[in-house]
Amino acid sequence: MTATGTITLESVTKHFPGGVVAVDDLSLEVQPGEFMVLVGPSGCGKTTALRMVAGLEPVTEGQIRINDRVVTRLPPRDRDIAMVFQNYALYAHMTVRNNMAFGLKMARMPKDEIRRRVDEAAVMLGLTELLNRKPRQLSGGQRQRVAMGRAIVREPSAFLMDEPLSNLDAKLRVEMRGEIIRVQRRIAAPTLYVTHDQTEAMTMGDRVAILRDGLLQQLGTPDQVYDRPVNAFVAGFIGSPSMNLLPAGLEADVDGCAISVGGARLAAPRLLEQRPALRGYLGKPVTLGIRPEDFGTDGDGGEIDVTVARLESLGSELVAYLAPAGMAADTLLTARLERRAALTEGSATRVNVDVERLYFFDPESGAALT
Amino acid sequence: MTSPGWRIAKLVAVLAIIVWSLGPILIGVSTSLSTQREVNAIPTRWVPHHPTLQAYHDLLGGTSNQRAGGTVTEAGTFTRSIYNSAILSAVSTSFILIFATMAAYAVGRLRFRLGGAVLALLVGTMIVPIFVVVVSLFKVLAEPPVGPSLIDTKGGLVLVFIATLTPLATWLLYTQVREMPTEPEEAALIDGCSRWKAFVRIVVPQMSSGIAAVAAIMMLSVWGEFLIPLLLTQTMNAKPVTVQITEYVGKYTTNYPILAAAGVLALIPPALLALALNKRITGMLAGSS
Repeated sequence: MTATGTITLESVTKHFPGGVVAVDDLSLEVQPGEFMVLVGPSGCGKTTALRMVAGLEPVTEGQIRINDRVVTRLPPRDRDIAMVFQNYALYAHMTVRNNMAFGLKMARMPKDEIRRRVDEAAVMLGLTELLNRKPRQLSGGQRQRVAMGRAIVREPSAFLMDEPLSNLDAKLRVEMRGEIIRVQRRIAAPTLYVTHDQTEAMTMGDRVAILRDGLLQQLGTPDQVYDRPVNAFVAGFIGSPSMNLLPAGLEADVDGCAISVGGARLAAPRLLEQRPALRGYLGKPVTLGIRPEDFGTDGDGGEIDVTVARLESLGSELVAYLAPAGMAADTLLTARLERRAALTEGSATRVNVDVERLYFFDPESGAALT
Repeated sequence: MTSPGWRIAKLVAVLAIIVWSLGPILIGVSTSLSTQREVNAIPTRWVPHHPTLQAYHDLLGGTSNQRAGGTVTEAGTFTRSIYNSAILSAVSTSFILIFATMAAYAVGRLRFRLGGAVLALLVGTMIVPIFVVVVSLFKVLAEPPVGPSLIDTKGGLVLVFIATLTPLATWLLYTQVREMPTEPEEAALIDGCSRWKAFVRIVVPQMSSGIAAVAAIMMLSVWGEFLIPLLLTQTMNAKPVTVQITEYVGKYTTNYPILAAAGVLALIPPALLALALNKRITGMLAGSS
C-alpha cells in the first residue's frame, strides 16, 4: 500500500478549567506512513494532545488537520481516524467479529465487504479462531489484537494509539511492539502513538516527540534525540538507565580546559574547540551528563575515583551504582560495564570516562551546550 | 473466621432469615388450603387435615356473603386486579427505565451547566414523603390542565408512579454510569456513532446489568404500592391487587382462606419476576469484564 495522509498539529493549545495548560502551542506533522511517538512523563499532556486529534477533547487554540483537511471542530466520527485505547475499550456485549465490524456497519458498508475486511484483518492478526468469542473470553494480548483489528478494518486516514501496550506483561509487550510496527507498515497510515515508556518510543518510532508540561521539548529520530538531546530533560528521559547528570565546573588549564566534577579533574584539551558554546562557561558551573554506557574500566580517558555502592548483573552486562569521591553523599552514578569488569560491592576503585562523549547543559535553563 | 462457634452462629442467622421471610408465606399457603372451620380450630392446626382448593375456587369463581362467612367475592374481579397490577408495573417500569437511563447518563457523563444541580434537585424530591403532596396530587389528577379527569385510570396511576420512582432509579443508574469506563463509548464515537447512537448501541448494553436490577426494583415497588392506588382508584378500571385484597376483609367476619388465597396468588408474579431477573443480574455481574 502506498503511504498517504498526514496528521498536522499547528500551535495547538489546551487549557483546562482552573487555568491548567495541558498542551502549550504544540506543532508537529506526522508524515505519510510515518510512525510518530509522543512520549513524556505522566501529566505531560501527551494523552490530551492525542485526544484532541481524535476529537474527544475540544481544542482551545490552534488547528488540527488530517490529510490536509481541517478537523479542529469536527466530531470524532467525521475525522476518518481510528484509535486504540490503553484498556482496549472493546464492546463487551459484542463478539470479536462484531467488534471489528461495528465501525463499518456505522459507515453502512455492504455486508460482503464488511465480511471480507474483517476476515482479512483476522488473518493478519491471527484472530480467525476467535471471531465468535466475546471479549471477556480473551486474554489481554488477544483483546489488544482485536482493538488493533477494529482500527485497521476501517482503513482510516490516520491511526491514534494511546498507550496500547501498558496493560500487557513485559514479554507480550515486546511481542506486540513488533506486531504493531508490522501492521502499521502494511497499512501505511500516519500514526500518532502515545506512551510514557521511552523504550517503546525508541524502538517503535520513526520519529519521537518528547513532551514535558505541555511543551514540546524535542522532535527527531530516536538516534537524534539520544545522541543530541536539546536539554537536560530530554537527556535524562531518553535512555535506560538514565543519563547521569552532575554539577560540574569548567576551568581554564595550561592545556586548554579541564572539567572538575566532585574530587575528580578531567583534562579536556580540545573541548572548547569542539564545543564553542562552552567558552562562555569557563569558571562557571555547568551540568555534566554522562551516559551509563560511556563509563569504562580499561584505563582510557578521564578518571573518576568511586566507591562501588551496588552491583546488578544482567547476565549480558553489569550495572554498577557508584558513589563518586568528593560529592554529596547521596550522589550515585549509574554505569553499564562489561560483565567481566572486576568490581566488588563496597570497594574503592577508579572508572574512566571518554571526555569526547560527555554532555553539557546550562545549570539554569537545562539547554544543551554544544 | 471458620471456628465452629462462628459457623453455628452463621447457620442460626441464616435459619432465622429463612424462617422470617418464608414463614408468613408458608402460613399463608397453609391457610389458603384450609377451610374456615379449620382456621378457627383450637389448638391451631399449622397443616390442614383436609386440604382443599375451595378458597381459590371461591376467590376466582365468586361466592355469596352467606357461604364465605363475611367475605364477598365476584367472578373476574380478582383476576382483573392482577391484570391491572401487571399493566401498571410493566408500563410504569418501562417509562421509568427510559427516563432514568437517559437522565443518569446525562448527569453522570455529559458536562453541562447545572448538571450537579439537576441531580441534587432530582434526588432531593426523594426526601419529600408522598403524604405531603397527596392532596394536591389528587386535585391535579382530578382536574388536569388538559383532558378528562385521571382519577381511577391506569394512566393517572402510571404518571404518579413515574414521578415518584424515577428519581430513585436515576440515582441508582447514575452511580453505575460513574463507575463505567468511558473508552468504549469514545471508541464508538470514533467508529462513526453520534452521541445518541453511541448511547443506544454501546452505553445501554454496557448498563444492562444495572438496568435489569433497577427494573426488578421498580416493578416490585409498583406491584407493592398501596397508598397511592387506594386514594386514586375507585373501580376495577384501575384498582390493583394490593387494594383489591383489602376488599376481602369483611366488616364483621373475614374468610381467612379466601384472603390467604388472594395473598398467595398476588405473590406469584413478583416472585417469578424476582427469580427470573435475579438469575440475569447475578449472571451479568459474574460475567462482566
